[in-house]
Amino acid sequence: MAALGTLSSANLNGGQKLAVKFFTVAIALFGAQVLFGMLAGIQYLKPDFLFGILDFSVNRMLHINAMVVWLLFGFIGAVYWILEDESGTPVVGLGLGNLMFWVFTLAVVVVVLVYLLVQTGPGELKSIWLINEGREYIEAPRWADIGIVVCVLIFFYNVAATFMKGRFTGIAGVLVFDLVALAGLYLAGMWYTPNISMDQHWWWWVIHLWVEATWEVLVGCLLAYGLVKTMGVRRKIVETWLYIEVALLFGSGILGLGHHYFWIGTPEYWLSIGGFFSALEPIPLVAMVVHAVFDAGHHKMKSANHPALAWMIAQAFGNFFGAGVWGFMHTLPQINLYTHGTQWTASHGHLAFFGAYSTIVIAFVYLAVQKWRGDVWMSGNMAGAWKWKWALFLLHAGMIGMTMALLITGYEQSQIERAIGGSTWTAYFEAQAHVWFVQGMNWRMISGWAFTAGFVLLAWDLMTIGKRETRPAQLPAAEAAAA
Amino acid sequence: MRRTLTSQERVVIEPVHLADFFTVFFSAASVILFGALYALLFAWSRVRGRPRLMPMAYAAYLGLAASVIVLGNAANLFNSHYWTFIVLLMLVGYLVAPHAIWHLCVGTHVGEDEAVKVSQQR
Repeated sequence: MAALGTLSSANLNGGQKLAVKFFTVAIALFGAQVLFGMLAGIQYLKPDFLFGILDFSVNRMLHINAMVVWLLFGFIGAVYWILEDESGTPVVGLGLGNLMFWVFTLAVVVVVLVYLLVQTGPGELKSIWLINEGREYIEAPRWADIGIVVCVLIFFYNVAATFMKGRFTGIAGVLVFDLVALAGLYLAGMWYTPNISMDQHWWWWVIHLWVEATWEVLVGCLLAYGLVKTMGVRRKIVETWLYIEVALLFGSGILGLGHHYFWIGTPEYWLSIGGFFSALEPIPLVAMVVHAVFDAGHHKMKSANHPALAWMIAQAFGNFFGAGVWGFMHTLPQINLYTHGTQWTASHGHLAFFGAYSTIVIAFVYLAVQKWRGDVWMSGNMAGAWKWKWALFLLHAGMIGMTMALLITGYEQSQIERAIGGSTWTAYFEAQAHVWFVQGMNWRMISGWAFTAGFVLLAWDLMTIGKRETRPAQLPAAEAAAA
Repeated sequence: MRRTLTSQERVVIEPVHLADFFTVFFSAASVILFGALYALLFAWSRVRGRPRLMPMAYAAYLGLAASVIVLGNAANLFNSHYWTFIVLLMLVGYLVAPHAIWHLCVGTHVGEDEAVKVSQQR
């Protein structure tokens, strides 16, 4: 093992070496998401900015696709990170996993280049295969879609085979079944049908069920592992809670899908189903507050990695406010009739994705950096701790600012464009020119700059944290006893 | 200019009036926030053994109930049996969820430490 504070792959096992590659690409793609988001934000204020060179439609597509892919890279990396540790055996088929990483990364680069360079021209069947599949958020051409499924299947093989060879823990069981759904549900976004209602029906299986079922469960597994490692919570308790939380999430989340079926031409019973489960969806979140307080009372929040713990706590709050509060404000069909597809949705989406998913990936990257530097002490009083604290603050302040600004613009749109204007083209442009909309977009931009500064600081911190630290990490009591 | 609904649509939902938009957003947010406050105070009271926090927890639940009723009125939920049933289900669900989760917490931590034993004796 290399000296404390020195970045050395000798400190990592095989799965973790692969994981840090995924984390590196994930953070780079996070940067791309921020960059294209900022460009799209400027174009809201100055519509002719980069017009004809890098159009708003391309920027927006890159902003959202980069988010989906960096989170996916982060999740895959996090699973490889825990794999050997959790199973007690080296990763089965690690070479295939490494090959998959390079193929996946190369495919992402090619898709981004195609997005940037080839997005105008006639739409033909071959453009679905080679240029853009046309479905919002999952625009990747079909060759890349198939590639993603193959990559996820290789990932599934690595995970399932490793757990089957080693320890098949409770976390392993949930994870393996979740990965089947992760690969399987993506296929639903690849049908071709000329009926737009049917097309949207299947498309939501990817968008909603990936996000509110498979990703949430994956995050539950990662958090369970994180709690064992950073706070020394007993495995039996964590695994029992993982089963309970998966049941709660699936119980309300799967048919919560119905709130996306309100206005796409599906039968009207979806209004009842979607309304019912949307009303109940926040109950598990509220119930989990009880569990969090119970655990906090028991484990006194002791941790050997303060930045990771801070980001995990941020995840609990972000998930609650972003998904719970911001979701429920506009989820009932009686009000969603006016708010869907406005900046209200963007406000909810920004806070929910950042709060529920970005936070947990960042927490895992901090766990990885700690081990990469030889299990170095990472606390609030270490040298250069101001960087992770300011990155945490600026990213949250920027995100909250953007969320509030988009909330105001969405509120204005729901009134001027939808309720008063009746969703006509004229009303759409009236709402876009309204002073509340313009001011909201200005504040969103200012907050976006704060977020960008936070990202730069985060990237800098991840490259340098623990560099001058010579104290070893102290394991939480239960973990130390188990070691 | 409000969209005219068909008679079939009216059975299922009655859209919010323009003047009630803010009330709907605010009361819906309050439902979740009061729900979290209720759960927080409830759990804190039990985990720390401070029974005087429990009335505050139920006061938060009353805030939640008031928010649900305001939301129900503003979103026209009381105009149909189906939506009235959902309102009642929300009230019951938010009330019992912290109790249920507390029992699960105690059950999963059996014998772990003194605090749990105290809780079990209650």
